[in-house]
Amino acid sequence: MIAARANSLSKIYGDGDTRVTALDAVDVEIGAQQFTAIMGPSGSGKSTLMHCLAGLDSVTSGQVWIADTELSSLSDKALTRLRRDSVGFVFQAFNLVPTLTAIENITLPMDIAGRKPDPDWLNTVIDTVGLRDRLSHRPSELSGGQQQRVACARALASRPTIVFADEPTGNLDSKSGAEVLGFLRRSVDEFQQTIVMVTHDPNAASYADRVLFLADGRVVDEMFNPTSASVLERMKAFDTARA
Amino acid sequence: MFRAALRSLGQHRVRLLLTLLAVVVGVAFVAGTFIFTDSLKQSFDALFNAPQPDVTVSADSAFSAGGQGGGPGSGADQTPTVPSSLLANVTAVDGVASAHGMVTATGALVLGKDGKPVGRAGPPARAMSWLPDQSMSSLSLAAGQAPNGPGQVALLDSTATSAGVGIGDTVRLETPGGQLTSTVTGLVTRGIGGSDGGTLTVFDLPTAQKQMLGNTTTFTSIAVKASPGVSQAELANRLAPALPGHLKIETGAQRSADIANRLQTAFGFINTFLLAFALIALFVAIFLIFNTFSMLVAQRTRELALLRAVGASRSQVRQSVLVEAAVLGLIAAGIGVLGGIAVSQGLRGLLKVFGADLPAAPLVIQPRTIVVSLILGIGVTLISAYVPARRAASVPPVAAMRDDVSMPAKNLRIRGIIGAVLIVIAVLSALSATRDLSNNMRATQLVGVSAICALIGAIALAPILGRWFIGLCGMPIRGNAIGNLAVENGRRNPRRTAATASALAIGLALMSAIGVLAASTKASVAAVVDDTIGADFIVLGANFQPFRPDVFAAVKNTPGASTVTYTRQIPLAVGDDQGVLTGIQSGQFQQVFNLTMDSGTADNLLPGDAIVDSDTAKRLGISLGQNVPVDYVSGPGFLILRGTYKPAGPITGWISDVQTLTDAGGRDLDSAIYVRSAEGADPTTVKASLDKELAAFPAVKLQDQASLKDQINQQFDRVFGFIYALLALAVIVAFLGIVNTLALSVFERRREVGLLRAVGTSRGQIRRMVVIESVLIALFGALIGLSLGLIYGTLFRKVLESVGISKLAIPTGQIVWFVVLAVLGGIIAALWPAFTASRLDVLKAIASN
Repeated sequence: MIAARANSLSKIYGDGDTRVTALDAVDVEIGAQQFTAIMGPSGSGKSTLMHCLAGLDSVTSGQVWIADTELSSLSDKALTRLRRDSVGFVFQAFNLVPTLTAIENITLPMDIAGRKPDPDWLNTVIDTVGLRDRLSHRPSELSGGQQQRVACARALASRPTIVFADEPTGNLDSKSGAEVLGFLRRSVDEFQQTIVMVTHDPNAASYADRVLFLADGRVVDEMFNPTSASVLERMKAFDTARA
Repeated sequence: MFRAALRSLGQHRVRLLLTLLAVVVGVAFVAGTFIFTDSLKQSFDALFNAPQPDVTVSADSAFSAGGQGGGPGSGADQTPTVPSSLLANVTAVDGVASAHGMVTATGALVLGKDGKPVGRAGPPARAMSWLPDQSMSSLSLAAGQAPNGPGQVALLDSTATSAGVGIGDTVRLETPGGQLTSTVTGLVTRGIGGSDGGTLTVFDLPTAQKQMLGNTTTFTSIAVKASPGVSQAELANRLAPALPGHLKIETGAQRSADIANRLQTAFGFINTFLLAFALIALFVAIFLIFNTFSMLVAQRTRELALLRAVGASRSQVRQSVLVEAAVLGLIAAGIGVLGGIAVSQGLRGLLKVFGADLPAAPLVIQPRTIVVSLILGIGVTLISAYVPARRAASVPPVAAMRDDVSMPAKNLRIRGIIGAVLIVIAVLSALSATRDLSNNMRATQLVGVSAICALIGAIALAPILGRWFIGLCGMPIRGNAIGNLAVENGRRNPRRTAATASALAIGLALMSAIGVLAASTKASVAAVVDDTIGADFIVLGANFQPFRPDVFAAVKNTPGASTVTYTRQIPLAVGDDQGVLTGIQSGQFQQVFNLTMDSGTADNLLPGDAIVDSDTAKRLGISLGQNVPVDYVSGPGFLILRGTYKPAGPITGWISDVQTLTDAGGRDLDSAIYVRSAEGADPTTVKASLDKELAAFPAVKLQDQASLKDQINQQFDRVFGFIYALLALAVIVAFLGIVNTLALSVFERRREVGLLRAVGTSRGQIRRMVVIESVLIALFGALIGLSLGLIYGTLFRKVLESVGISKLAIPTGQIVWFVVLAVLGGIIAALWPAFTASRLDVLKAIASN
């Protein structure tokens, strides 16, 4: 089953001399209930790919689907609704609204939609991230790792079709990072969640089922059941190619 | 360093423009007031060079300004005159080249085609005699011929325009001597001296004497021209021995100085008022500037930290912010001076609408005006930017390396303590003021001190109150995610919210306090009219001018009018105490006034008997039965005090029998006619009959209690309307402050907004969030402002009770309107920031670097 798909997706910034091709006719399929990592050197287009797949950025040409919805023809209103109802996000930093408590942040997308969260599922998610005693705290009263776990809980709480995580461990120490990655892994294994994660950390990528390697706006390789070592090895090849 | 400061000015144009505007408004009013006053002074110089008599001889006019008080329709108008026989005495004096009798009087109405008087109600309808010697005349002929003979008249050009007549046309005139139909022979213009917006009719001397003075044996003055080589002062000295001692002999220079003085006193209050307003506007501007600079500093924290990291000292960083402020202040002051020119011209226009056409004057911009404007503009900006500048200097260099930088939030405890202390002082002085109201001055000052302490105290406490208020006010919308976010946003930066709301609070406090005073004044006047006017209808002269006695005859014969009585008024003076003597028809006293006697009786007043209000009696130290020496326009006389009455609003002064006035030289002109309907007569029918009878007399108006109140209210409304208009500007500046604050908040929270958008918040929801926050801030400002305004409006009313504001009235409708307008203003102020927020690029906002 396919959760998201890009067909001949191109993204070009600027014009004339300043023209930059961020994505060059990318074809990609994201399997449902899989943990997919997107890797690549800086400027390879991995973040752009994620933004286009998530409906955060417009595409220059080609099509993007989330489940059965084609995104490039959607209005801003429809895209907003899609992000609200079918997509979950975890960003590298500034994931939480500072004026809301942890639990308010977790239920934010559903509150915005005016929907009641499913209490059983919410409890399951909260217990999985292990934040039950921190629910009434504001983000400023939580550690960086705790904040990211709240963000993960938010991404899962509305049972989205797909969760996108953009360098979710980029700002965390290794212990907190491992907790967050472990949690993402469990959500795929235990709750059949689909996750796409952009990262440049081979260790983070090793939690995934499949790794897509991007370079110069193209998908150049992929790897199933990766380990840190195998990913690192593959990444070194980029540096060599460049040198 | 300074280049960096200036460049940053260019980068935040819109926000700075708003800030600039606040300073410009304040400076423009200060500069405008100065320019207006200086120009007016300059125009006085021209007065001295205008054609005028070298010496003017007139009756000693202790009464020149007309009497004071005297009840509704204070038509105490008695023109002082000089016997025409004196003209020969004057001409005989050595050094007199020529001398002419003159008449200048009020009460000549020009009737339009519809039979109604032309011109506005308010300024008087003047009549003058034509002075053939142009070197002494303030009038000059613009077109046509001077009037000559009873059927001819010349009109002021503006009067002719309003009446819709030209040279050769006939025009109907209503004068104290009866109605005239005259041919317009010429149009005149007034030289320097301006006009008060009233009409002017010019007759030849005999016609003016007959119509305006009712005789041909008196003038109002004699204009004298000196022979060559005789100075004005010398001429005046030579004239003195040839004339009776009570006459006033005034040189042209003295007259000009008099006029200049009178105008300056008249406009003095406007200056004071405008300067006070300008200071309010600048005070409000301080909050706006403070917020803007706090924002600029906050936005540039990393940039400032970088400057510190590469070696800039604290004082250099501080100076760079202050240089920015100074440049901004300089620009604002510059525009403010230009705006001042517009303000001074606008003032002229406004005064013209109110009926005062000032002498034409060049625009005078003195160096002092510019210096004061610059000092104010730059000073206010620097003072407001000082705290943000210090805060900028305290940014540690390491902040350059951090991702999320927020200014350290300072504790609100000190502010809270200061605020609480000020509020306690305010309460204590208010209590002390109300405990002893006998000393009016002291009580007013105490309430003033209390008001200032309460205002500053409330501003100091505003951050604490604001969190609390917005939380409370936001309760009902907490259930909604967007509502909850908006409420939290309103609470998260209490200082900024407080400063923004305070600016609005100041304007609204003043407006609502004025509102309470205005409503109370009107209610008090209405109550006095109800209590003291016993008649069903009152006939009054247009502009409260006295009118011909045949009106009384017409009214008396109207079917349905049972009791009809008239009053007359003349000015009188007891020593230096000027007042009005009202004459009533014997035995009709209680038909006219519902007065409460404090002592003695008002019944059976004989000629020479009088009653007076207790205040005047006390002031003059006179007692019942006393023979009081008084001065009339015609000369000295006596009144025997028979009683004293409780002063009731407009009714004050001396009351006697009509015969007393006639004996004192009063003319046969009535000041008011009081009418009671017959038993069982339908008031509307009676009114219709009266209206019909009075149609032939355009110089009078039929009033009942309601219309009298309306008329008085309209006068108050005009004055209060002017004040509201000025204060509204301060409120608009405050709303600009809200725009500014929201714009900053949106900028600071752009990542948060991006996050909200990313997780599915729609543009509309983002807009709603910003608008709700804005409305909450505006409501908070309105709450503080209206509370203070209502409290202090009530307190000021209380201490002003003894000067006639006897009733307290809270203008509930108006207060509700202020709240509604605050909400609307909040919504409008949020439009642009909300739009900006909703259009933020989601990707840029959430980009981690």
